[in-house]
Amino acid sequence: MDNLRRIGKYTLLRGVLIVITVAIGVYLTVIIATMGGYMDKIMASQIREQVGTILQGNEELRKLPPAELKLIIDQMVEQRMREYNLHTPWIVRSFRYLANALTLNLGMAEKVYSDSGSRQVRLILTERLPATLLLMVTANLIVFFSALFTALVLSRHYGSPLDRAVVALSPTSAAPAWFYGIFLILIFASVLRVLPYGGMVSIPPPKEPLAYALSVLKHLVLPVSAWFLAGIFSSVYYWRTFFLIYSSEDYVEMAKAKGLSSRAIERRYILRPTLPPIITSFGLMLITTWMGAIILENVFTWPGLGRLLQMAINLYDAPVIVGEVVIYAYLLGITVFLLDIAYAALDPRVKLGAGGRRPA
Amino acid sequence: MSDITATAKNEQGMVNAVDSKDDYLLRVKDLCLHFRTTKGIVQAVDGVSFELKRRRSVAILGESGCGKTSLARAILRLLPRNVHKFTGEVWLNGTDVMKMSDEWFRQNVRWVKASMVSQAAMNALNPVLRVGYQVAEPLMIHLHMSKEQALQRAREMFRLVGVPEDFLHRYAFELSGGMRQRAILAMALVTRPDLIVLDEPTSALDMLTQANIFNALKDIKRQFDVGFILITHDISTSSDLADEVIIMYAGQLVEHSLAQTGYRAPLHPYARGLMASVPTLREDKRLEFIPGQPPSLISPPSGCRFAPRCPQRFERCAQEPPTFRVGEHGELVKCWLYAKD
Repeated sequence: MDNLRRIGKYTLLRGVLIVITVAIGVYLTVIIATMGGYMDKIMASQIREQVGTILQGNEELRKLPPAELKLIIDQMVEQRMREYNLHTPWIVRSFRYLANALTLNLGMAEKVYSDSGSRQVRLILTERLPATLLLMVTANLIVFFSALFTALVLSRHYGSPLDRAVVALSPTSAAPAWFYGIFLILIFASVLRVLPYGGMVSIPPPKEPLAYALSVLKHLVLPVSAWFLAGIFSSVYYWRTFFLIYSSEDYVEMAKAKGLSSRAIERRYILRPTLPPIITSFGLMLITTWMGAIILENVFTWPGLGRLLQMAINLYDAPVIVGEVVIYAYLLGITVFLLDIAYAALDPRVKLGAGGRRPA
Repeated sequence: MSDITATAKNEQGMVNAVDSKDDYLLRVKDLCLHFRTTKGIVQAVDGVSFELKRRRSVAILGESGCGKTSLARAILRLLPRNVHKFTGEVWLNGTDVMKMSDEWFRQNVRWVKASMVSQAAMNALNPVLRVGYQVAEPLMIHLHMSKEQALQRAREMFRLVGVPEDFLHRYAFELSGGMRQRAILAMALVTRPDLIVLDEPTSALDMLTQANIFNALKDIKRQFDVGFILITHDISTSSDLADEVIIMYAGQLVEHSLAQTGYRAPLHPYARGLMASVPTLREDKRLEFIPGQPPSLISPPSGCRFAPRCPQRFERCAQEPPTFRVGEHGELVKCWLYAKD
């Protein structure tokens, strides 16, 4: 009972801390996305320019005396300024943005539309999310687990030709995925013509679900391969070194002396004690997955969050940028929170709340 | 004393090895363990032979880097990745375990016949498994006991070595250093092996805990049919437990004697230097030391390996490596000083 209360208290404390961190992160994004209030000036001059252009086209208004014309211009500008709420001081609005963002009331985009024609940021984001998830989760899961498995095998065959090959190839990860993507497109789409150049599904999309899935799969091959090529060698190298370090622990040697089979040693004496760092890596990998890969998505014209972010930045569309970062911040916070709990569950040395020894 | 001399006779080919299997717990013949390093081949264990009768304990003494731990590792076949040469014979209870395949050795020798208490006890227990489970684990693997049975046996072992029974459910980090070492001792005993290798079992512990552990070891020795190989720097403490002493130098065995004479009147000049370095309580004695460093095990001296540091060396020492001679009390010593010819 006492234990339970302590765990509850700890969880609550961690939760509050994470919410505060997320709020700070989101507020910083609001400041950056609105350029610390400078965006208001840009907007105001844009509005004045727009109004000017509209009036230029109107023959009747042009004939009015300048003083009267100025009055009309000022009225129209005023009206639009009110529409955009530009009269409220920026600092007040920044906190209103923050409150809205934190309650996931993401508002309307200024320039970006969703494919279905909506300006709701939430709709725009939910439309892009599945595409990014499909690409990034597939690619990352393949890289993560194949790297982990290969590394475990390599750590057992330290110094073998395969091991040396992986070590030698690990610098290839210095080049990003899109770099490999360009070559893959060149080879498989341009020269061999066996796989599509980009996109997520062929146009027009197949009606049958199975054909649709196959088409998506076909479009997925190149970007996933690009991601795999860019990540696999350094990943294997990292995990192999990680396992090598942990397999020279005294308790591993002891397990060997005890006559455990190598599979049991791997499972209980190498993987089990190293599970917390492995889980951390996995969690961090999931977080990057949410953001998408901006350039890779562009190279493969993949309709994901990464491309959306780039588009929003180009168009100065603050609500979309903030919306995307808010979702990211929340996911980061939740992941860290879950990691904390997983750590405490997996590693007895990590105590929930510093409460001394566990009762004997 | 005759148990030691038998080795010498075998070496000199005077007596053919009579297989008195039951008498000997361990017979090591010409054991070599060489490692490959970037600088060359390290002869960590080079042609070591000795015998040990049942229920007897031998202390292996020597400076750091003289091959003590490597010898223990070679006997238990706990080899690093860079092994260059691993040859010789290791007869455990009358069976040459060197001829066994790795898998056979794992299933029938590891922890069933020979267990170990390792150096650095702090880290010898898996941090995320309960101590009791780790102690009981060999029973489940080798004797196919159920978890409950195995834990019951582990509990008995805990009682024997003086660990509170409820520590079975604790994790290693919740135990003090002394308790951890006792738990490992319980683990080493749990399958009732014939041989336990103690590799610096108390080096990281305070004096009182050391004394406690050694008392527990003495109790165990009295109660069980078990032999110890005790590897240590701590010469004075080892004399408490050992029946015989082996002195190693530069990967080779230089003296093997009974504890009665080995500690008080060693024959080999290196052994004498080693014993003279032990401080005595409240006695105004000048502690001796042996000048110089042990030779490189990559290119050891061609004659006697100790010759460059030996205060009593003469021409022959640098020319040919000495062979074993039998001393007055049955000691075996590898030194030209005792050559009568």
